[in-house]
Amino acid sequence: MEFGEPTLTLGQTLWLLSPELLLVLSALIVMALDAIQLGREDKRSLPYVTLAGLAASLIATITLWGCNTRVLFVLSCDPFALVVKAVALVAVGLVVLMSDVYIRAHSRFQGEFYALLLFATMAISLLGGATNLVMIFLAFDFLSIASYLLTGFLRGDPRSAEAGMKYFLYGAALSAVMLYGMSWFYGLTGSTDLSAIASGLLEMGGPVRLVALPALILMATGFAFKIGAVPFHQWAPDAYEGAPTPVTAFLSVGPKVAGFAVIMRVFMTLVPVSFVDLTMDWRSLLMAIAVVTMTVGNLVALWQNNVKRLLAYSSIAQAGYVLIGVAAASPRGVTAVFLYLAAYVLTNLGAFAAVITFSNQTGSYMIEDYAGLGQRAPAVALVLIVCLLSLTGIPPTAGFMGKLWLFSAAIEGGLTWLAVIGVINGVISLSYYWKIMRAMYLVEPETEESLPTSPALGVALVVTVIGVLLIGVFPAPVVSVIETAAQAFFAG
Amino acid sequence: MNFPILTVTLFTPLVGALLVLIIPREDVKTIRRVGTAFAFLSLILSAIVWLNVAQSGSSGIQLEESYAWIPAFDIWYHVGVDGLSAPLVFLTGLLTTLVTFYSSYAVDVRVKEYYFLFLLLEMGMVGVFLSLDLVLFYVFWEIGLVPMFLLIGVWGGERRLYAAIKFFLYTLVGSVAMLLAIIGVYFQTGTFDILEVAAAQPFAGNFTWASIAFWAFFVAFAIKVPAFPFHTWLPDAHTEAPTSGSVILAGVLLKLGAYGLMRIALPFFPEQFRYFVVDVPIIPVMAVLSIAYGAMVCMAQWDLKRLVAYSSVAHMGYVTLGLCAAAAGFGALGDPTNLSAAASGLNGAAFQMFAHGIITGGMFFLVGMIYDRAHTRDLKVFGGLGKQVPYYYGIMLVTGFASLGLPGLAGFWSEFFVFRATIRFIPVAAFIGVLGVVFTAAYILWKVVQNLFLGDLNEEKWGKLTDLTWWEKATMWPLVVIMVALGFYPAPLLNSFNAAVTTILQALP
Repeated sequence: MEFGEPTLTLGQTLWLLSPELLLVLSALIVMALDAIQLGREDKRSLPYVTLAGLAASLIATITLWGCNTRVLFVLSCDPFALVVKAVALVAVGLVVLMSDVYIRAHSRFQGEFYALLLFATMAISLLGGATNLVMIFLAFDFLSIASYLLTGFLRGDPRSAEAGMKYFLYGAALSAVMLYGMSWFYGLTGSTDLSAIASGLLEMGGPVRLVALPALILMATGFAFKIGAVPFHQWAPDAYEGAPTPVTAFLSVGPKVAGFAVIMRVFMTLVPVSFVDLTMDWRSLLMAIAVVTMTVGNLVALWQNNVKRLLAYSSIAQAGYVLIGVAAASPRGVTAVFLYLAAYVLTNLGAFAAVITFSNQTGSYMIEDYAGLGQRAPAVALVLIVCLLSLTGIPPTAGFMGKLWLFSAAIEGGLTWLAVIGVINGVISLSYYWKIMRAMYLVEPETEESLPTSPALGVALVVTVIGVLLIGVFPAPVVSVIETAAQAFFAG
Repeated sequence: MNFPILTVTLFTPLVGALLVLIIPREDVKTIRRVGTAFAFLSLILSAIVWLNVAQSGSSGIQLEESYAWIPAFDIWYHVGVDGLSAPLVFLTGLLTTLVTFYSSYAVDVRVKEYYFLFLLLEMGMVGVFLSLDLVLFYVFWEIGLVPMFLLIGVWGGERRLYAAIKFFLYTLVGSVAMLLAIIGVYFQTGTFDILEVAAAQPFAGNFTWASIAFWAFFVAFAIKVPAFPFHTWLPDAHTEAPTSGSVILAGVLLKLGAYGLMRIALPFFPEQFRYFVVDVPIIPVMAVLSIAYGAMVCMAQWDLKRLVAYSSVAHMGYVTLGLCAAAAGFGALGDPTNLSAAASGLNGAAFQMFAHGIITGGMFFLVGMIYDRAHTRDLKVFGGLGKQVPYYYGIMLVTGFASLGLPGLAGFWSEFFVFRATIRFIPVAAFIGVLGVVFTAAYILWKVVQNLFLGDLNEEKWGKLTDLTWWEKATMWPLVVIMVALGFYPAPLLNSFNAAVTTILQALP
């Protein structure tokens, strides 16, 4: 393995960092525009500028495809990092489309909102390529701080403020634990670079597991918080419920993508699969977390009547499924993780787009108010049911393809029991997704009033539902991109 | 390259469904016409497919089409048809056409969604019969789930919500077990191709794992068939579903399970199938209990629709019994008499699938027709309707007699062939199974015919009951004609099945 920095010119370095730089640039433009238009109530240009920044960054990401080098010692530009960036950019783009009407209706501080979203995106983008513990910690905290602010964004709304505070207290404590774990690795090996730590651990030999394992557990605690895995999930339902709904949508995908990207890179580099005795330990740790996370998330979701809380618990359970792929720790497992995440991002955002459309009009998040949505807003209901089926894992949706890969990875790796628990959870999850489907289609509406959709939300609804069905029916192109990315950890 | 007729047959309903989706909601007339026209078009296509298969003279898979679908996982879009699947595709086309035609007159509520869902459902069902790749099979298997769930839930009877979710959960439990088995089979044999897996015999030599995989498939299919004790979803779903939904449920969806047993469970795991028929006779017990228990429960029903629903449990029991008989002969198929007896078991099972589709489909139409008039299905309140609605009485008699297996009608042949094989290989099951035939005769004659049509007419209550309208007659006639035609001349259907099942049997190790 190579530790030296390849010689890059300043131009090359900037070029390799262009996705992140473009995000920072557009965040600054958004803030400047906001300041210039200070007197005006109506700042309609802001979401478009934000979208343009995201699009520019996405184009830069796509043009970088194929690069495989290290940048500034702490970042890696490889297919895996680029896939993470692309998923995050698409996700935040969709969140912006959902935010337009909502934020204008609920807050005066539009510039800050979009700038924070862009900064958070940049942090996720950095985490995709981070190969150094310090970089990981900094980017994680950057993402967290932006997320706390966004969660508590509606200052006047006590629930939002409470949610932000709760999220912050929880996050700050677990960040400290994570940092403590990282410091153990530094103490053990004298380096914060993942590859250097890995070879340092290898040289130390046998008893190393005794000290490396607690360090790993401490660090994993911080990661588990990010992806909302049990038992570090308690912040999620309250934060999800209190946060402005577009932020909830962001929280349900952004930190998860970042968290899983880091988990993959850290575990795959730090404790390579070939390092047998240590590998076994972290794998069983992940399996245990996966089982508990899926089961607790699904069982608690059964009792929810508020759509936001229900989707919060469902997203906890979804993270549990993804952990199956991490635990498999094989090329197919890594592919499964990112295929599932891509599917989940589109699906969950589609569901949130429908939820936001509904609440913009009615102000309600209660499932019983969804009665007769199939008649009141057939298109919105159709998107929502497709997304719910995708979350359950019914073909021909993206969620099914993701699950097919996840369970295949588990069975291939001899973890049939884990796949069995996964499918049982899939059946349980139907019982609560069904509550929404039932309300939408099988219960008569109390009013015939139709639900208009804003153009931006309409775009979000259409993009997500097409994406979900497209990955469900023709997954081949997406799979081949993700497979290339997964190879990053298994080459040589 | 030849004309891809299977792909066209498969996706014609989808095109129809998408067209229905873009027609404005208010234009009910056009929606009905387009929906029925596309169902009819796929009926024609399925007839052409069957004719092609019948004329080819070959008994293997034909009209194959195969394209890489997800190369990264070696998943193929592989479709093909043989003498077993072609008639079932035709059955699907026929019943969907009748259902869409009938609904044009009988259904006024949310017509657009109704036709969209039925056409989507048709694609799912045809897809299951045509798929030769396990993942493709699974995808189509599940595609049918959601439309049926919504059809029961939206257009169903009083307890529709309960029935809909029960149907969904039961089937989903079965199918996720199958999904895991499919993945397991893939890592064992390195392929998802149904024919290649059958040739490779997954888990051969590892009895435990083979049995686990076998049961995973078997339970998924047995829930759908449904075989006792997995049948409890059926009475609720069938009773609560709208008339057309019940027709498709009983007529085609149950056949998906039976078809899966024949196309997948049996060829993949012949040894396990034989073991659980002969050495540990769980499956024959399930079959016999389905027949006897189903028929006895029918005797106790006073709700006509529930009665017909339970009769499906009993009748599908013959399918399972036929499979058992064939499986009992495995290992001794070198002997031509054994081979022909085993083939007769499968032929009977397959014939029953087709015949039951026609007969019970017709039965559910008839139940719907009386319910639409009388707004009750309680057998206790009827009587003497024979004089009031003679046309209806006549059609019900033919269908009922076909259902109880009267010679000269379609139902007779399936029972004949099933029992021919069963007596040879598992005589005890045959004796118990025959009891079911007696019970069937009893409940059809006593419960249905006597309670509905004989006795005195309650003039005050039913004096205004009208006989069948032209469109109801037009719905029933094709079914009646097929019942009679197959009763007198079963050869075309039987030859079609025989060629296919003999090929399946001969390919077994």
